[in-house]
Amino acid sequence: MKRTPQDCPSRLPENTAVKQQQLPACRLQLSATGILSGFFATGVFCLGMGVILILSAKSSMEIEINYTKICASCAKLRENARNFDKECTCSIPFHLTQTMRGNVYMYYKLYGFYQNLHGYLLSRSNSQLLGTDVKDVETCAPFSKSHDGTPIAPCGAIANSLFNGTTKPPSWPKPVYELDENDPGNNGFLNDDFIVWMRTAAFPTFKKLYRRLSRTQHFIEGLPAGNYSFNVSYNFPVTRFQGEKSVVLSTLTWSGGHSLFLGLAYTVTGAMTWLAAFSMMAVHLKLKGKRFSPDDKVKL
Amino acid sequence: MSLFESQSENRQSGEPERCLQANNREFNTLFGYPNNTIKTSKYNVLNFLPLNLFEQFQRLANAYFLILLFLQLIPQISSLAWYTTVIPLMVVLSITAVKDAIDDLKRHQNDNQVNNRSVLVLTNGRMKEDKWMNIQVGDIVKVENNQSVTADMLLLSSSEPYSLTYIETAELDGETNLKVKQAISVTSDMENNLKLLSAFDGEVRCESPNNKLDKFAGILTYKGKNYILDHDKLLLRGCVIRNTDWCYGLVIYTGPDTKLMQNCGKSTFKRTHIDHLMNVLVLWIFLFLGSMCFILAVGHGIWENKKGYYFQNFLPWKEYVSSSVVSAILMFWSYFIILNTVVPISLYVSVEIIRLGNSYYINWDRKMFYAPKNTPAQARTTTLNEELGQVKYVFSDKTGTLTQNIMIFKKCSINGTLYGDVYDKNGQRVEVSEKTEKVDFSYNKLADPKFSFYDKTLVEAVKRGDGRVHLFFLSLSLCHTVMSEEKVEGELVYQAQSPDEGALVTAARNFGFAFRSRTSETITVVEMGETKVYQLLAILDFDNVRKRMSVIVRTPEDRVMLFCKGADTIVCQLLHPSCRSLGDVTMEHLDDFAIEGLRTLMVAYRELDNAFFQAWSKKHSEVCLSLEDRENKISNVSEEIEKDLMLLGATAIEDKLQDGVLETIITLNKAKIKMWTLTGDKQETAVNIAYACNIFEDEMDEIFIVEGKDDETIWQELRSARAKMKPESLLESDPVNSYLTMKPKMPFKIPEEVPNGNYGLVINGYSLAYALEGNLELELLRTACMCKAVICCRMTPLQKAQVVELVKRYKKVVTLAIGDGANDVSMIKAAHIGIGISGQEGMQAMLNSDYAFCQFHYLRRLLLVHGRWSYNRMCKFLSYFFYKNFVFTLVHFWYAFFSGFSAQTVYDTWFITFYNLVYTSLPVLGLSLFDQDVNETWSLRFPELYEPGQHNLYFNKKEFIALETTYWTMISHFFIWGSLGFYFCVLFFLYSDGLCLMFPNVFQFLGVARNILKLPQLWLSLVLSVVLCMLPVIGYQFLKPLFWPVSVDKVIDRIHHCMRHPLPPPIRTKVKHASSRRSAYAFSHKQGFGALITSGKTMKGKPKKSSLLKK
Repeated sequence: MKRTPQDCPSRLPENTAVKQQQLPACRLQLSATGILSGFFATGVFCLGMGVILILSAKSSMEIEINYTKICASCAKLRENARNFDKECTCSIPFHLTQTMRGNVYMYYKLYGFYQNLHGYLLSRSNSQLLGTDVKDVETCAPFSKSHDGTPIAPCGAIANSLFNGTTKPPSWPKPVYELDENDPGNNGFLNDDFIVWMRTAAFPTFKKLYRRLSRTQHFIEGLPAGNYSFNVSYNFPVTRFQGEKSVVLSTLTWSGGHSLFLGLAYTVTGAMTWLAAFSMMAVHLKLKGKRFSPDDKVKL
Repeated sequence: MSLFESQSENRQSGEPERCLQANNREFNTLFGYPNNTIKTSKYNVLNFLPLNLFEQFQRLANAYFLILLFLQLIPQISSLAWYTTVIPLMVVLSITAVKDAIDDLKRHQNDNQVNNRSVLVLTNGRMKEDKWMNIQVGDIVKVENNQSVTADMLLLSSSEPYSLTYIETAELDGETNLKVKQAISVTSDMENNLKLLSAFDGEVRCESPNNKLDKFAGILTYKGKNYILDHDKLLLRGCVIRNTDWCYGLVIYTGPDTKLMQNCGKSTFKRTHIDHLMNVLVLWIFLFLGSMCFILAVGHGIWENKKGYYFQNFLPWKEYVSSSVVSAILMFWSYFIILNTVVPISLYVSVEIIRLGNSYYINWDRKMFYAPKNTPAQARTTTLNEELGQVKYVFSDKTGTLTQNIMIFKKCSINGTLYGDVYDKNGQRVEVSEKTEKVDFSYNKLADPKFSFYDKTLVEAVKRGDGRVHLFFLSLSLCHTVMSEEKVEGELVYQAQSPDEGALVTAARNFGFAFRSRTSETITVVEMGETKVYQLLAILDFDNVRKRMSVIVRTPEDRVMLFCKGADTIVCQLLHPSCRSLGDVTMEHLDDFAIEGLRTLMVAYRELDNAFFQAWSKKHSEVCLSLEDRENKISNVSEEIEKDLMLLGATAIEDKLQDGVLETIITLNKAKIKMWTLTGDKQETAVNIAYACNIFEDEMDEIFIVEGKDDETIWQELRSARAKMKPESLLESDPVNSYLTMKPKMPFKIPEEVPNGNYGLVINGYSLAYALEGNLELELLRTACMCKAVICCRMTPLQKAQVVELVKRYKKVVTLAIGDGANDVSMIKAAHIGIGISGQEGMQAMLNSDYAFCQFHYLRRLLLVHGRWSYNRMCKFLSYFFYKNFVFTLVHFWYAFFSGFSAQTVYDTWFITFYNLVYTSLPVLGLSLFDQDVNETWSLRFPELYEPGQHNLYFNKKEFIALETTYWTMISHFFIWGSLGFYFCVLFFLYSDGLCLMFPNVFQFLGVARNILKLPQLWLSLVLSVVLCMLPVIGYQFLKPLFWPVSVDKVIDRIHHCMRHPLPPPIRTKVKHASSRRSAYAFSHKQGFGALITSGKTMKGKPKKSSLLKK
């Protein structure tokens, strides 16, 4: 029997926007003028931003004193592991021509020190650092236990290599609770230097905050110009892997430190955008007569 | 592959012949036939997990991630936490598994429902209800009106006279017209006598289970006698009993052995070009991954040598690392793990989701809904959508696809007089239109009100009592195999095997010769109000070789008459010499009919001598019982009596074109889609229709006709055609020729060749058979592909598929086949995309198709709107997908140079875990489900936009472009901004104090988010990156159309122009009539009910309590 359509309910699909693909939408269509003015505007923005950033970076001061060569004799001494108990200090004089105004930060900067090696990064015990389980040193190989089998605290390669004038776990001269002899609250795993070091750097060249200028007496304004010298007790051998060491003094602004990178990147981008905008305009004006009616739009 | 298939195949090989006995379960169990349970489900509770996982891991990407997982378990090389791979893998696997489980659950439910239906089965002399699944081979089952048939069973008896049983086979082949089955007399005598039925112990021997729906051969042995069984006696599972109060059947095949189940084998899985490309890309990505890892491993070796060795104070080498080489080898695998994000794990899942979404759009499209049939378009496969945007060749059937396959009795020629034209008062011929006055059939109570005819002279001739005219209509009302039904007195409903036949019988009915009912021995005709019963002596049925059918009847006046109708070419040769002059006039009329594209038949009769007939009849019935070569013998015997015919006239039937065919073909032409028509019809008819629907245009330079009967002439014809279209293509210097002479062994691609004009090609099936052989194959292909349109007529279904295969093989472009009949199934399966039209000819084509809808003109929308969008979306999706994975991974490659190649990641492990799965998946999905570069009106108005897809321009091995959403819907906004917002939420959550304190080893970045997001540098860098990423793309988009304009850009320009200055709506081109140079004799017919009707003659003419009319 042929069935008549009336027998069954209508199978007409629903008339909804989604099903009929009629969703209201804004179609992204820019006119040539729109695109060009967008380019110009972006260019202006980038150039402006770049100038501001460069100026801001310029307003901060930064001096870096590389002491790899100055302390070469100490480095030589440290390369031989048997000399670990011999002290070696070297003095690094420098001249500050201009007063560094505002907060002055002192950083140590390492070149070619790979804090980002996979094996290095893994070698730490977070539960030990958090204090939840001090004896948990499983993940710390090869610096997990000392020769007599007692767990090392703090364990692991990162902690072991703490950049310091002096070292403990195998190469630490002092136990963790004596890191700061002046301030009893700044010891153990809560020691600032230790925490900073444990925050591993992403690149082999990095600087880490070491000290802040205590702005009292002469230093209320900042660091006045004049002759200074650092006395470094040299403990950290980097020359074997062609590493370098330096000390950085710097002031900060809202946009960060003295680095010009972001400012330059913005400036270059802005300039390129303008260049592109001009050439696109030229092409457009030259070719549009051939293909476009004056106000024709371009699909984006 | 489902399990039962493999089982049944195994058993089949061991079962050359099936043997069973009615009512004897013990005997039948010896053979171990399955019971009637069906199982279409794939999994059960126990095997779901292993089986499903096994299937999923056969996918390259999934298997890769499994290997990765194992690599990560090796501590020496593990560079990422295990969960970075496990979580995405689990998510992807479980999404697929849940989808599979839901599908399978549905199948389980269906199976259960079917298996638990109840049916009456004969046990111990009584009818008892039992579940379907408990039915076994050899049981006798009672099926009542409107019930489904339980299993394949031999019809034993039914409530109807002669044990006729009406069935509907919609579930099997989709055809909704009723079919008739008839039991053999020896069993039909049992009727519903339970005693007799329980005592019935007939033994059946028949062929082993197979999937041929229209074939069955067996022998019933009962009381020492053998009876031949064929498919007319078999009720198939899936049929529904109609108009029959009850019937009894002997179960022959059960469960998985039934023809229904044997037929639902898995269809061949079609893959798209993009699928293939995706796999190639994944392979390339693997190679790329390998080489990256290799470079990094070498780098690591060098680094360890130069730096790492001296760094051992701070990081000593592991004890298993003896040298930098060992370390480098381990590092290779570590990077293999880290760079895994370049392999797109969620690619396949995302692609599936996108395709599913785009298929739903097709199902949901109101503009592809056909109200008269209440049928929406249907995407039966969800894997081919983007291919719809790349179609280059369309292979179309003619009947039922381009035409409606609704036949209208238009004209006739009776005894040399032409009827059917309408003239006005001045004797001018007028076109028939809505206003033309119809002939009044009110004198005839049995007339069909839907039938309309315009020429009054014919009715006058009938009323006048013109003998020839009466005889003509009498022959139309007798010579057919139509079944009639009369539910309400006077309202006849005809069930015809072919619409032509229905139209002819209806015409006869309206003119006063109404066929009212038939039994196997009689035909009742109401002749001008007077009921007459003709005795039916024989039906010589139609087949494709004979191209005619005849009936032999004994009139109430005791004359034996033969009525014949058939193709003019055939019937002409059978005419008595005395009708020669009449024949010539009729032939002229036939030419006129053909010019108008009408389908024609010749009608003739012969009065037979009683003795001659008796002798012939004896011979005929002998032949009918022969087992070998029966058909051939019958045909020979038939020829003995079908000769010396007296010509009565000819009929002309109009085959109406479907709505919108013309416009659709014009649009497809503009979209550079080539249209080939493959039809079983005669050349003249096919060409005529081709002109009518603009496949051939009157402006074409030339139409080549290939009709050679041997290799040599066909070769000549093809070459000369090519010489006209593109003379240089015959020269040896032609690049294609020189390429072919090298005889490349690999499958190769024949490039597009551009002819110097517009040409058409017509080739008939006979020539095609030669042309498709080896060396002519390429000649044919090159010639045919240069033509704008190709028509192949007289095609067998197999040839249709061969033509499609030919183009597919050498052209390497996307092909689409569209058809509506069973004869199109092979080509629908062969083409990349098969489309079934659910039309008049049943639904076999639809059931084998990838997409199905009711009207040919929906094709335009399917390709130009849905196909184009799907393709564009898929391309954008893939570009974006690969882009984001590469960007993400290449950062690690870059970072390796700063981290001593130590396999340290830049990102937090959780970011790696969630990147593909959570942060970036929704924007991509949103893009690929909602993006529209131009809206549907424009893509239909400018078919040129379709071209890039045909050449696969938007996604190929060269193209890796970035995301460009051109159509920002609310959902896109939500997905993109939502994902960004979500990213920050997750960030704060993962870096929160609580989590970090609880799992210090998993969540290590305590407070990082808080502190970093406070820095202005971060935000400034972010803005700069966005600017740097966007500007080049925008600039490129701006300059591309200026410097390298492609046609699409021009079209888009015009569209934008039109948006502001709306065009007047396009003027609808008027359907023009084919010009009058061509002729057509057509004939569309299938084998009728003839054999079935006459088979009633083998029965004893016992008194029947009722006639067919009782209902």
